[in-house]
Amino acid sequence: MTSQANSAQHAAWAHAPERSNLLLLRIMVWVSMRLGRRASRVVLYGIAAYFLLFAPGSRHASEDYLRRALGREPRWRDVYRHFFTFATTIHDRIYLVNRRFDLFDFEVHGEEAMRRLLASGKGLILLGAHLGSFEVIRAIGWKHADLRVAMVMHQGNAQKIMAALAAINPRAAQDIIGMGHVDSMLQVRERLDDGTVVGLLADRTPGGEALRPARILGADANLPVGPFRMAAMLQRPVVFMTGLYLGGNRYVIHFDTLADFSAVAREQRNAAVDAAITRYAELLDQYCRKAPYNWFNFFEFWKSATIVEKKAS
Amino acid sequence: MNNIQKPVVSSNSELQLEVAVLMIECLNLEITADQIDPDAPLYGEGLGLDSIDVLEVALVVSKRYGMQLRADSADNQYTFSSLRSLADYIAAQRTR
Repeated sequence: MTSQANSAQHAAWAHAPERSNLLLLRIMVWVSMRLGRRASRVVLYGIAAYFLLFAPGSRHASEDYLRRALGREPRWRDVYRHFFTFATTIHDRIYLVNRRFDLFDFEVHGEEAMRRLLASGKGLILLGAHLGSFEVIRAIGWKHADLRVAMVMHQGNAQKIMAALAAINPRAAQDIIGMGHVDSMLQVRERLDDGTVVGLLADRTPGGEALRPARILGADANLPVGPFRMAAMLQRPVVFMTGLYLGGNRYVIHFDTLADFSAVAREQRNAAVDAAITRYAELLDQYCRKAPYNWFNFFEFWKSATIVEKKAS
Repeated sequence: MNNIQKPVVSSNSELQLEVAVLMIECLNLEITADQIDPDAPLYGEGLGLDSIDVLEVALVVSKRYGMQLRADSADNQYTFSSLRSLADYIAAQRTR
């Protein structure tokens, strides 16, 4: 019951009105490529200020999150910095998609372990979150031309992202597997079988899916079970990845082994899925504390969040 | 869905029942095999399976009947449209 209600709230982000359109994106891309990263970043101050002033829903969600992550009452500067960090990762995506990796300073942790798992030839599932930038995987793939990545996305998002990528760099269209087809998962299996890394963000669902509570920053949040079930069923290794923005042009990329379902039999599957979700939540907790401004779920994420009701009291 | 040709071999109700039991077992569905309408959609509305459920069914079915389900097959939409069409597909493709 409650999990369904939460699932509906969880889904709210999926219906949030779009604040950008493709024309705006094209202009932004043009300005960014033309003026360079440093000059075009000026726009980001405006965007962060705009959200601070005119997006109360996002602001309250930011405050609710920062209160948990910082362990104190957030100030408006914290919220501003939170929005600014978000805007930066979106902006930097333009450069990453255009392969301007030279603009950034990447520090990478855990890549060797990830590559050892990949060497088995059975592919690998890379789970990210709306935490930092997942797009930095392109920088890793570029260093080693052998790394192929396909992203799994919900159908509506998949189309939007494809259109956005085409606007940024028509040649950069990534392999995207849209969910919601009867054979989406068969596609995932085939990509894994040919040694591809299949990436997905596992902290949200567009609703209607099974959720499981997990402790993040001292409170229960609902996480979708689907990505973990998929990995368990396909019996693949799972690695967590995040690219945390540290300011300036610096990102730190972390790979952490999360679970290996390669030898998990059907009977042990549920327990293994539960353990993997717990581990995923621990990693989110750990990186939220480490780089608090990198959390980009600007909606009621925690079950105990009272963002909407707040105005009443 | 309308344009895709039906398999030449069609299933009998015995095979449909067998597949229904297989599905219920692997997905832990809280219904009995005779409660599944052979013509109701499996995916989304109807039985309410999601694409991960469908994957599970595909894995179990391909193992049990010794056949391969491929993602690039245009028939998938039809194959998984109902219990009857899945059983028909199995009847036509099975190697054991």
